[in-house]
Amino acid sequence: MVKRVLAIVFILIIGLWMAKALDQVPFGEDRMLVGKYYLEHVKEETGAVNAVTAVVVNYRGFDTLGEVTVLFIASTGVAALLWKKRKERSAKTEGSVVLTTGARILLPFIMLFGAYIFIHGHLTPGGGFPGGATIATAFLFLYLTFTLYEVDHKTFEPLEGLAGIGYVTVGLIGLAVGGYFLFDWIWQTWGVGKENIGRLLSAGFIPIIYTLIGIKVGTELTGIIDNMIKEPEEGGQ
Amino acid sequence: MGEASKVSRYLYTVLILFIIWMFLTSSFDPQELVMGVIFSLIVGALTYEVFTEKGLANLNPRRITYFVAYIPYFIWAMVMANLDVAYRVLHPKRPINPGIVECKTTLTNNTGKLVLANSITLTPGTITLDVKGDRYFIHWIDVKDESVEGASESIIKPFEKFLKVIFE
Repeated sequence: MVKRVLAIVFILIIGLWMAKALDQVPFGEDRMLVGKYYLEHVKEETGAVNAVTAVVVNYRGFDTLGEVTVLFIASTGVAALLWKKRKERSAKTEGSVVLTTGARILLPFIMLFGAYIFIHGHLTPGGGFPGGATIATAFLFLYLTFTLYEVDHKTFEPLEGLAGIGYVTVGLIGLAVGGYFLFDWIWQTWGVGKENIGRLLSAGFIPIIYTLIGIKVGTELTGIIDNMIKEPEEGGQ
Repeated sequence: MGEASKVSRYLYTVLILFIIWMFLTSSFDPQELVMGVIFSLIVGALTYEVFTEKGLANLNPRRITYFVAYIPYFIWAMVMANLDVAYRVLHPKRPINPGIVECKTTLTNNTGKLVLANSITLTPGTITLDVKGDRYFIHWIDVKDESVEGASESIIKPFEKFLKVIFE
């Protein structure tokens, strides 16, 4: 009881303190310094219509590379923690016909929609991470409805690695062509799609990187699901 | 009713995916169309084995006509169903007589069973609880007939005559 009251008082104090700090920040006023630069130059510098994507992939590309690394480490960490030589699914009951058929029919649509999200990252909200997560949802569906379903590990894990290598390779080509890592060589050196701003084939390497990120995130989250949904066989711990 | 050839199933999946892509992008920009074809081919290759059993045979004009006719029929049933439930909620005496009944269907195709189950759930105070083989277990808000034949007659029959043509 005392603990709970103390905790509530403590949280209230922190909340008041933060509210007081935020009170100093005016709402709805123009306070953009860097933001203004992004909004004014995003089109001719990156070719992307979606400024968020341009910031995330182009201006602040290292952050995205870091996020992809974090996800990769999470996936590897789960795999390492739950590693067992022989594993099998613990689920024993197959879903009803409504569930299994529904999952079968929705699967291609979810995957297509995931691809749609990541290929249109420079035009519409979204990008590689939501697109990849959507694709992983399709696989989650299969894992939840079928007791024996398992992805093909021989193609899945290499694909995940290849997508990551692809991202770094695109960055390294930028280093070779333009002098720094993640330099957008397709846009700034080749000028591909300069006349196409706002259409699909524009924005330099953003669609390429987002396709790679989409594949990577999709395979990684699926790998995490795969690892967590299986149990060591009888006799294991 | 055996499975269609792989080519036919693949082409059917790609076609459906491409139509969905056109709806998603709602543009006839050649770049979008080319990208749509590429992604439809890839996603189709990954998923056609689970997506369809009959392949291009689904595009039979008779089936499509029945499918197009089914949509307004179903929407009408859904509107009436919701008005019916609204009436029961607002009525001071709350005239409900709930119960679980068993029904039998003559559909054999899994997709047909799925559509039938969803149609039942979305219409007059009925919810599909489970489907086992050809038997449906349905929760009915106002049980009028407890026998298998009677319940099937009033719940399943109106949809089945359409779904039989579309999916069998």
